[in-house]
Amino acid sequence: MSRWRQSVVEIQTRKRQVNECERAQAALSKVTACFQQMATSLGSNMDGSFLREELEETRTVAHKICSGLHRRLLSLLIEMEQGQEDKEQVERHWVIFLSSLENFQRDLKKVKVLQEIFPLTQRKDRQALINAGYAGGTSEVAARAAMVQTPWLSVEETASLDLKNHIVEIDVLLEEMFQRVNVPLWSVEPTQEAWVEGISTQDGGQEEDESLEDIMEVEVVSQNSTSGCCNHHNCKVGCLLCLLS
Amino acid sequence: MTIRNVRDHGQRYRPRMACLKKVENVVLEMQDPKTGVKSQTQRLVITTIPHAITGEDIVAWIANRFKTDAAEARAMGTMMVAFGYIYPLQDHKRLILKPDTSLYRFQTPYFWPAQQWLVEDTDYAIYLAKRNIRKKGMLELYEQEQYNNLYKWMNHKWDFIVMQAKEQYRAGKERKKPDRVVFDCQERAYWVVHRPPPGTVSAMDYGHDRMVDPNMEEVKVCIMFIQQCIMRPRVKSSVSIGALIKYTTTYKEHDPFLHTCLPSSPWITDDVTYWTLNMPNVETPTKMRVERWTFSFGELLMDPRGRADFRLFLKKEFSGENLAFWEACEDLKWGAAETMKEKAQQIYKTFLARGAPRWINIDGKTMDITVKGLAHPHRYVLDAAQTHIYMLMKKDSYGRYLKSPVFKETQKKAYQYILCMNCVPQLCRFTAPVPHLAVYTGICEAQSTASPGLMTLPNSAACPSPISVAIDSTPASERRFDGNGGPSSSHFPSIAEASVSEEEKQPPAPKSRMALSLSRLLRRGCNAPSVFASLSPKCAVASGGGKVQPLGVEPLAQPQPRRIANFFQIKVDIPPECRIYPIDSEDEEDDSADTARGGVKEIICPWETVTKQDGAG
Repeated sequence: MSRWRQSVVEIQTRKRQVNECERAQAALSKVTACFQQMATSLGSNMDGSFLREELEETRTVAHKICSGLHRRLLSLLIEMEQGQEDKEQVERHWVIFLSSLENFQRDLKKVKVLQEIFPLTQRKDRQALINAGYAGGTSEVAARAAMVQTPWLSVEETASLDLKNHIVEIDVLLEEMFQRVNVPLWSVEPTQEAWVEGISTQDGGQEEDESLEDIMEVEVVSQNSTSGCCNHHNCKVGCLLCLLS
Repeated sequence: MTIRNVRDHGQRYRPRMACLKKVENVVLEMQDPKTGVKSQTQRLVITTIPHAITGEDIVAWIANRFKTDAAEARAMGTMMVAFGYIYPLQDHKRLILKPDTSLYRFQTPYFWPAQQWLVEDTDYAIYLAKRNIRKKGMLELYEQEQYNNLYKWMNHKWDFIVMQAKEQYRAGKERKKPDRVVFDCQERAYWVVHRPPPGTVSAMDYGHDRMVDPNMEEVKVCIMFIQQCIMRPRVKSSVSIGALIKYTTTYKEHDPFLHTCLPSSPWITDDVTYWTLNMPNVETPTKMRVERWTFSFGELLMDPRGRADFRLFLKKEFSGENLAFWEACEDLKWGAAETMKEKAQQIYKTFLARGAPRWINIDGKTMDITVKGLAHPHRYVLDAAQTHIYMLMKKDSYGRYLKSPVFKETQKKAYQYILCMNCVPQLCRFTAPVPHLAVYTGICEAQSTASPGLMTLPNSAACPSPISVAIDSTPASERRFDGNGGPSSSHFPSIAEASVSEEEKQPPAPKSRMALSLSRLLRRGCNAPSVFASLSPKCAVASGGGKVQPLGVEPLAQPQPRRIANFFQIKVDIPPECRIYPIDSEDEEDDSADTARGGVKEIICPWETVTKQDGAG
């Protein structure tokens, strides 16, 4: 009886751990995506010490998630026996985590190079910033990244690294992962089918989005027209649809 | 997972992308608020976006900065657009710079092309997935194809790709509207550059990757070696061809294949007389052979008979140790390995040591090197000294040898072939050796009385006269004497037959034809003291109507080849720089010995004007 209960507990623990990893993975994705969005502002006219600080914070968060996730996934895979039901799931997470790490490392390398090109240490460096057309900052993105939750985020302490060492550490992590776990990567089947993401209507406000490109097209046509419904010089459409305030 | 691509795509591997850094610098200059490109705001329906620039402004700025004309500036601008540093706001798929009011914007540095990393397919897959989300499947045809390909290729990571695409999409939505527009434009422009739509030319097409890191040691060595090969001094082809021509002209008559081989070519007639006469250590060499000695010192030394002659000369001059040393060095070089040490020691004791019995005179530096090398003797230890002695002999003794009585004696005694009346090529010696031999007409008997030591050759019917081989134009039917032609020669049969047909009358036509062909024969060689004998018994008969007259002795005795104009005369035109007469004393040598001697010989038939040769002729 107790043995049965024991195995149930084990299974439940395991399930919990796997779920943890899944959520952590989602969090990592979120953080890395935000990181990328912020990195695109590097070197542009919106670049500044503020942006760089935000980048640093985001990177630290990502680092914490990575290390925790790495440890847990590794232990899960190592103690896994053949034929367990969630083996496939864990392996899938493993692959996702690997790809995620590599992707993040690429971004980190780019950021490092960009920070070298645009050092921003002197006043005249600001003149060299590219006028890329940005008007606003990326604070919202940073806030989004800061909002992620992972069970171990506040609990565990991981040493903070600077950018260069972070890149190196990821290399080490990846090496370790390849050596210690023997997962045939190509055998992993994805859960997502092709083209599915385009069909789903999870995200709201998509009508607005498709007009983004239409906006850019419309601009061609009505560039020279000065007529408008109101006094605003940018108003080119009828009053009803004028969104300018 | 990705195959870990640890290869660095930097400068070493994609060298043609090095220009990117330079373009970046130009782009940075363009940003300067005072001296940079003028920017304006782009007006969209709902918002304005700053930092739009017009094509004409870009062109003007470039033209001004680099002091070029508008066309050049436009080309440069197009290049910047093609690389992706500037992207067009209208007509975004065509990456060219239009020098009008069309708008462009600078690309953010995150999306700049970089030399050191490749643009990853993973990123492209994420972008396509994002686009799919945004446009709900309404992608362009080529994008759909790419999507399907990537789905197949990266199937195992597809979950990651979709997850990341969704997150990036949501992260992008956090930004303000104008910035979102800008970011979308930027990203779209980036992928137009790096994954161009089909049918467009991409500036990212940089050619082949280098497979080898040129900074590796082995590769560096290879590169250095190849560079040295390229830098090796080369001879101009005019010079080398000139040398080739000089060589062939000099040696042309001495080649048994290219020229008449007297008495007969052993390869054709199976008569080995030619070889017997030219044996390495024959007592009396042939004239041709002696002439070859005058071509170069190397020729003299390489011919055993010549070397023997030279040795004799040196003995008379009491400077034989040079040649002896040289020969000893050769022996060392080519000899057996076990005796090498002793040989070297012996040579040192005999030639090089102080107070040696046959001490040779070499300069101090060479002596130094040689003595040092003799501590550890090897095959080539005496190379420096040998070269020195060789040059000494060449510059000094060789010249004197060619003027010496020894050489002249040898020359005089040398055998020479002529053809005579009874048609057997006869070996003769001439009391006055004649370098530019030409004409001799007459009978052997005359010659045999004139010169001692004549060798008469067996009159072999099987052996066609050498001239017969040369005269190939006269059809057999018209020759009086055919009959048993030579074995291989279909032309002219042995002149042996001629003696039979002495009395026959010959029509003049074949005569002249033969005369002409003879002349052709003779004209071929411009060198040569080679033998010519003319002679056709036919002609003799025709003109003389009687027996063939014997060739007088006079031409043989005299230094000049004055002809006895019996039948044919062969006039020799001697080029002014070539002194052939008199043969004995002064000289034709030095370097002119090596140059081609021009001499045109033409046959004058007796029924034409008979001119006598002048003295120096």
